[in-house]
Order: sequence, then structure tokens, then C-alpha cells
Amino acid sequence: MSRLVLHDLQLARGGRTVLEHLEGRFQDGAITALIGANGAGKSTLIQAIMGNLTPVAGRVECAVPAARRAWLPQQLALDLSFPMSVEELIMTGTWPSHGAFKGYCAAHYRRGREIMERLGISRLAHRPLGELSGGQRQRALIGRTLMQEAELLLLDEPFANVDVDTVEMLMDVLREMAEQGATLIIVLHDMEQLARLADDVLILSQGHGRWATPDALVERHTGQLTRPPRLPLTFPGSV
Amino acid sequence: MLDSLLSTLYLWLIAPFDYAFMSRALLASLALSLAAPPLGVFLMLRGMSLIGDAMSHAILPGVALGFLMAGFSLPIMSLGGMLSGLLIALLAGSVSQLTGHREDSAMASFFLISLAAGVMLVALGGSSVDLTHVLFGSILAVDTTALVLITGISSLIVITLAVIFRALVVECLDPLFLRSQGTRSGLVHGVFLGLVVLNLTAGFQTLGTLMAVGLMMLPATTARFWSTRLEGLIVLSVVIALGASLGGLLISYHLSLPSGPAIILLAGVAYLLSALFGRQHSLSARLRRRATPLRADDHA
Repeated sequence: MSRLVLHDLQLARGGRTVLEHLEGRFQDGAITALIGANGAGKSTLIQAIMGNLTPVAGRVECAVPAARRAWLPQQLALDLSFPMSVEELIMTGTWPSHGAFKGYCAAHYRRGREIMERLGISRLAHRPLGELSGGQRQRALIGRTLMQEAELLLLDEPFANVDVDTVEMLMDVLREMAEQGATLIIVLHDMEQLARLADDVLILSQGHGRWATPDALVERHTGQLTRPPRLPLTFPGSV
Repeated sequence: MLDSLLSTLYLWLIAPFDYAFMSRALLASLALSLAAPPLGVFLMLRGMSLIGDAMSHAILPGVALGFLMAGFSLPIMSLGGMLSGLLIALLAGSVSQLTGHREDSAMASFFLISLAAGVMLVALGGSSVDLTHVLFGSILAVDTTALVLITGISSLIVITLAVIFRALVVECLDPLFLRSQGTRSGLVHGVFLGLVVLNLTAGFQTLGTLMAVGLMMLPATTARFWSTRLEGLIVLSVVIALGASLGGLLISYHLSLPSGPAIILLAGVAYLLSALFGRQHSLSARLRRRATPLRADDHA
């Protein structure tokens, strides 16, 4: 099943075509890595999937309701000097159910605390965002998407500027989300992370998209197999 | 001894407000002090501290036009100011949307044009005394109509701000999140700018179009030296504005000084003191060599 399908998509920025004849299905419960050089159209495609950019031709067919789509931009895009605590940020993830007016109830605060517990940021609950490290911030932002119960999650280089422990934890959390049926699209640059996380790869290059499997891509990229070949159990000459 | 002290205090602090014009001025400035600082806090947090200044120029042509058509009638002048402020904010916004011109430069251009147009209009129909009045206000000339208008607008601002509060907070931090949720972040932004214009029109009678910005921005920027929390910033800035209004009125009464500048200068003194001695980002905070011990907040 795929709730997100691209039909012969043509996207443009400022009158210049960035991508054309883009086709494909993003599988439910799968993690798709989006890769490509700078300017290849990764952000443009994300914008189109989020519905913020109208395609020149073709269409994006998305069965996930807008409220359940989450987009985590690169950290630089956020104003992190805004005086808001980690808990308050995570609680804004209740927007789909609560909107601008409804008060938060105890159950939601409890859910917020569970999420912080899961992400290992419970003790930072009341810390302002501006005082967090890159890794802590990323955990808090992922916390918001968990609160939102996102079914389509787009992440732009979520592991940039983030410590090793956080990368490990976030990979687990993202994998869990996929296992629960969410569709994830992640812009990645690191081949090792790609090999570990991605189920599918969409390569954007020179205005076109090409689908690949992580194994084939990593093999071509590094000349090595992702998994070491299985050694024969018996050796010639052995009994 | 105690009696004379009390009576001196009474003479200094309470007696001035026995005059009806002083108590009306006090009520008007207290109402403005409740509405203006929260707007200032959000303007500051959005990096739009100077937009208030620009906006104050935008209401001038409308005020002047109202003055030309109906004489010194506060409701007409306020209505004119409100309309021209909203119109010019809308124009600046749409020019930057349509042409890709940066919003701040579009705003700067439109507001300068409107300032010049406003001054020209006032000069065409009145004297320089009128101009001074419109630019710098006279809080002691607040009559009952003006008072009703000012308190009405202030209440409207506080209520609207409470209604859009969460949307505004989310929009400040991450406008794309709001947009991805299907809420039009442009709408929130527009309502907010509308409130700023409303507040300036309420303030121009008492403080003048130029000084009205002071009561909005100075308490907010002062509070930034003391609090890192949004609630703290808002409460503190309101308290500072209330204090500056009360103190400024008393100073202007006793020393026969113009009231608008007295209020704003008092808020300015609070700002300078906070810049020196505040808890955050101040000079003394920079020189302080103390830190909370590691993990002190684990148990918080």
C-alpha cells in the first residue's frame, strides 16, 4: 500500500524547471532516503509533497490528511531563541487535535512526558530551546512529531550537527514509527546511515529521479557490499 | 512625624489624581499599558522591533485626513489612522508578496511615503501646533470620549491576543509547522499586525503617533534582561509599563513637563538600568563569574 504517489511530476522554482517526469510510490511503513547534490531539488520535492508548492505539471497524490503530515526542516530554519521550553514545544504537537484554542488535559501532558522519557530528555523538560545542544534540540523536535502522531514524516538532514548517541536513538525511534505504519522520507548524505536506515532510495540528479535499493547504491558508491559475504562453513580439506 | 510623612506622600502620589483630567489620563495610560507591552514582546521576539516605528508613520496620513475633514474629533481621526495603517501594512505586505521585494524594505518605503504625506496633509489644513499634537500627543487632554475609545480598543487587543495566543507562539517559532497543519499562518500574522495598528491608534491621542511605539517596545526590550520565559516577559513588561505610566504622569504633574515623553523616558531609564544590571544578557551578567553547578536542574 502506498498513500503517497507521484504522477509524472514537474516542479519549478522561479520559472526554472527543477525536476520533471518524476514518478513513484512511497511505501507505507517504509523509510525512503532522498539523496542528491545541492540544488538537485530535494527541498523543492519536499515542498511539493507538503502541498506548499503547486506542480507545473503532474500531481502529488497524498492520502495522508494534512494534520498528520510532519516536516522537520533543518534546524537552521527555526528561531530557537524563542523563549519556549522543551515541554512546551512537544505540546504544540497536539495541534491536529487541539488547534489554537482547546486546552491541554492531563492525558496529553502524560503522553508528553512519556515521549520525553522515550527520547531521554525528561530532565530537560523545562529548559529553554536556546540552551540545548544540537542533539537535544533534534530529540525535542522529533518529540513534537511523535506527539503529532505523524503518518507522513519528512526530515531534512535530521542527523546533521547531532551527536552519535542521538543519531542511534533517533534511528531507533524513526524505525519504530515506520514499523507502526508511518511513511518516512529522509534527506540523507551519509552512506552509512543510509545503508542502516533506508528501505528505498530516491536519487535526484539533473532534473530526474531514479529509484534504487540501498544495497545497490552503497555497493556502487563504495565498491563494497553492505553486508560482508557469508563465509563458507566448511573449508576445503577440513573434515 | 508620621502624619507629615503620610500627608507628603498623599500630596505627591494621590492628590494629583483628584483632578479629573489627571485621573482620566491615568486610566487611559494604564489601559494602554495592559495592551501595548504584550504586542511589543511578540514584535521583539519576531525580530520586528522596528516595525512598530514604521507602523506609527503609517497611521499619520489617516489621522491628518480625519483632522482635515472633521476637525479635532478623536473618533474620526482614530478611524482614519486605523484605516490608513491597515491599508499601508496591507500594501507593503502585498508588494513584497507579489514582487519578491523584501518585506522590510517594502515596509520602509511605504511608511516613509506615508509619513511625508501625513505631514503634508497636516500642514495644508492646520498649524504647527496641531502637528505637534498629532506627533507627540497630549495625555492631559483626554476627554471621556477618548477614554472610552482607548479602554475599548485596549480591551479588544487583550482579548484578541488571548484568542490567537497559541497560534502566534507556534507561528513565531516555526511558521512552516503551522502552514503544514493547514492553518494559514499569513492570517495569524495579519491579525497580529492589525492589533499593532489598533494599539497605535489608541495610543496616538495620549502619547502621539511617535511616542505610542515607546510604550509598546521599551517595556518589552527591558523585560528581556530579566526573563527567559514568554509568560515572564509579558507579565514583567506590563508591570514596567504600568509603573512608567504612573510615575511619568506624576513627574509631569509635579515638574510641569510634557507627560508623553515623561512616561517614555521613565521606561527608557528602566531599560538602561536593566541593560546594566539585568539578570540576562546585561553588562553585569556578562561580568559575573558564577554558574549553577552541573546537574543542578536535574531535580527541578
